[in-house]
Amino acid sequence: MSATDRNLRRKAIRRTLAQRAGDAPDAGAVAEATLSILRKVVAQLVPVIGARGVDVIFGRSLHLASAAFPCLAVDGTHEDSVALLASLKARLAGREPNDAAEAGCTLLVTFTELLISLIGESLTARLLEPVWVSTPPVSEKETKS
Amino acid sequence: MNKKVAIRRLATGVPGLDEILGGGLPEFSFNVIAGSPGSGKTTLAHQIMFALATPEKPALFFTMLGEPTLKMLRYQQQFPFFNLDKINKSIRFVNLSDDVATGNFGQVLARITQEVEAFSPALVFVDSFRSVMLEVQHQSRGANSPELFIQQLGSQMTAWQATTFLIGESLLGSDPNPVLTVADGLLLLEQSVYRNSMVRKMQVQKMRGQSTRPGMHTFRITSDGIEVYPAALVHVDTGEASVTSGPVRSRGRLATGVPRLDEMLGGGLPSGYSLLVAGPSGSGKTILATAFLAEGVRLGEPGVIVAFEQTPSQSWIRTLDDMVHAGQIGLINTRSLDLSIDEIVQHLTKLIKKMKATRVVIDSLSGFELAVAPTFREDFRESLFRMFAVLSGLGVTVVMTSELEDRYMDLRFSPYGSAFLTDAIIVQRYIEVGSRLQRVMAVVKVRASVHSTEIRRFDITDDGIVIGDPVLEYEGLLGGQPTRLQASSTVKKGKR
Repeated sequence: MSATDRNLRRKAIRRTLAQRAGDAPDAGAVAEATLSILRKVVAQLVPVIGARGVDVIFGRSLHLASAAFPCLAVDGTHEDSVALLASLKARLAGREPNDAAEAGCTLLVTFTELLISLIGESLTARLLEPVWVSTPPVSEKETKS
Repeated sequence: MNKKVAIRRLATGVPGLDEILGGGLPEFSFNVIAGSPGSGKTTLAHQIMFALATPEKPALFFTMLGEPTLKMLRYQQQFPFFNLDKINKSIRFVNLSDDVATGNFGQVLARITQEVEAFSPALVFVDSFRSVMLEVQHQSRGANSPELFIQQLGSQMTAWQATTFLIGESLLGSDPNPVLTVADGLLLLEQSVYRNSMVRKMQVQKMRGQSTRPGMHTFRITSDGIEVYPAALVHVDTGEASVTSGPVRSRGRLATGVPRLDEMLGGGLPSGYSLLVAGPSGSGKTILATAFLAEGVRLGEPGVIVAFEQTPSQSWIRTLDDMVHAGQIGLINTRSLDLSIDEIVQHLTKLIKKMKATRVVIDSLSGFELAVAPTFREDFRESLFRMFAVLSGLGVTVVMTSELEDRYMDLRFSPYGSAFLTDAIIVQRYIEVGSRLQRVMAVVKVRASVHSTEIRRFDITDDGIVIGDPVLEYEGLLGGQPTRLQASSTVKKGKR
């Protein structure tokens, strides 16, 4: 993947997260935004690759992202993905807002890039297209009006 | 009144597949694609799906397992037919692993039905079938037996106004599976491993309502996807075919490009004939065949050569190379060891049509036999027979060479017993005269034609084959130890 594409994608993820979290969010809002995006991603992917397939990628993304953000580390005590997500949300909410935002963003980026490494950029983009905010919210409003 | 239903046939987009199916896939048919792991089932299904799916006639692809879907998408993308633009609009992948994992396949069925109703696909694929069977067998609940489930699925599929496919690992276990009775079409894929070679084969075991090409057909999975090589069909009306090609043959004779050889053949090689040039190593078979092609080029008759042997940089081989590079003759050069004759026949047919070739050289049958996968060697003669039938149907004139071990105890022209299949035979031999090896050549047979019966010496020079005078002063040439025909001093040549 080219550096430009990677930057564009990272920007889209960051933008989406910022938009969902709202203005001057606290850590709880950031956690909620991260989770809601994750749920959207999962909803897009489960029909295609199955819940088990998504779990595997999600688990691996947490592991990879936890290198930079230890708060993302999974201890393996969670019974299912629901419990895992709940615990993830609680842990993100317990951080500083900026730190939580960075962790959430890193997790989403890691997840996307892992998926790309498996099924390629185009297919990933196609599957996750509806999740990301493609353009800055301002211009979106302009085109709508 | 009495209007019969017209079944539309869908072109599968898999080269050669429509031919063996008997003209394509019947629309709204329910098909089973079965085969062992790695036999190419999913690739075949994907190739068909990507060829047929459009936004108006979309496809649904159900997968039964979680992780393998990721792998499937990862690997299938490598094929050029995997068109990403079609995903979501024309093609939807649906993963059923979670429903399968519950063990309640009533739910699986309901989910499939629900997705089909929501998406209204024209094509439905369910991959892979065996995984359903296994899950179901382990966890079947109550009255829902696996057989029942499959039958339900099968009959549901029939009613969807969709062309449907079940993809499964060898469903042909010990007991016949009921789904095979329900299915309209049954495609079997297999990998046959023999010695050190693997050959993929496909069989249309069943296809309702149309005449399929019987037998096993070889196919390859290339970087472009699957390519099927339909077994060359020998028409039942071979007798008529030879009658109809009669006029073609009588049309004329082809110059061989070897001075005096035309004369020996009774005026050249009759058009449409197949000529076998048999002889020991180094006797000049390839040179003769090359001369035949070069003469064709000179006369504006394009040719094609199928070369199975090394091409050393000798002057006449360079002539061959030059002609190939100049695009005057087509070349099929292969040294792979897992060919099927049908594959060669298909390539050859294509090339002949493309070049509008009238002259074909196969150099040599011995190399051909080596290049053919061991599993086909037993059927080599039959396959040759089919190949000759196809070539004769194309109306080309064929020269093929065959390495013939010098055996002086018996007179043989070909190691395959293929001599009877050919219309004309030239045999080349070494003889020992005056402690020197000399080459001789004779025309053994030219079907329905007068020809020379002389044994003539010949030399190979830089200009090619130079045929000399008949060897009149010796006899016993074919025994390798000629004796001089002089009543006074009959000298026996050669030692054993």
